[in-house]
Amino acid sequence: MGREVSESCIDSLLTEMVSSYCNRFYSNTPELAARRIEAIGYQVGHQLSERYTMERPRFTDHLEAIKFICKDFWSELFKKQIDNLKTNHKGTFVLQDNKFRWLSRMSGDPSVENGTQDPESKAAQAMSMYLYFPCGIIRGALSNLGIPCAVSADISSLPACSFVIRIKV
Amino acid sequence: MIVCVAVVGHQNNPLYIQSFTEADDALKLHHIVHCSLDVVDERVNNPKKSGLTLNETFLGLLYPTENYKVYGYLTNTKVKFILVTTDLDVRDADVRNFFRRFHAAYVDAVSNPFHVPGKKITSRTFAERVSNIVKSFGLSSAG
Repeated sequence: MGREVSESCIDSLLTEMVSSYCNRFYSNTPELAARRIEAIGYQVGHQLSERYTMERPRFTDHLEAIKFICKDFWSELFKKQIDNLKTNHKGTFVLQDNKFRWLSRMSGDPSVENGTQDPESKAAQAMSMYLYFPCGIIRGALSNLGIPCAVSADISSLPACSFVIRIKV
Repeated sequence: MIVCVAVVGHQNNPLYIQSFTEADDALKLHHIVHCSLDVVDERVNNPKKSGLTLNETFLGLLYPTENYKVYGYLTNTKVKFILVTTDLDVRDADVRNFFRRFHAAYVDAVSNPFHVPGKKITSRTFAERVSNIVKSFGLSSAG
């Protein structure tokens, strides 16, 4: 055990994956590109959850599984836990990460910031493509644990971001 | 001696089943594995009756038949592992140890990016690893 992964390599890989799918394979259909990237994340999350839940008792309810994602799963992936977990107790969970690792080295493109839109929302739009992959990871992990759900992401202010999990009943 | 091991998916679909006997009794062993699935369901749905420690992955002895003992294991991802053995005095620790190694082998097999989730495990490496684990079963207690 104790294998290590180069952080800069992962950052480059993610950036390159998003740019390949958005600009080369599906340059005309961004929704399709987003779906493909999400599907890759789904497979990764599916397999990781299998590994990280080894040697632990089974989860009794949804909250326990979500807590596992927030604590152990996130620590394995990002060496930190989710900073804040909110729920409405009706199947919606909001996981907030105040310094999301994969966004911590990103900034908005200054050349587009003098457009009519305010720079905040422009940056958020550009970043949203990079969040389909982690969304897919969360969805893959939870569905493998027997919890079908939909996951979306919000960027409030870089590098903080929050993931919204809606469990399908 | 272990005569049969099986991996069964969360919809009770067989993912891997392998018998380790010379005789032509694969069908009988598959039948035993099939029967054990109901026992697993029962254990999981009525944890109080069976007196299990809460939600442990190792389910213990599922049921004894005349010639075999059947043990079960249920992962967090609802994948079942079934073990059929002819040994009548098996130590719990040995079975636990077996399942732990079997689970590790399974996780490595499904982490292969070319493996399709929910499909049968066809990896030769996995088959080899499983037969090694089966061969070494119970050796630690004998030595």
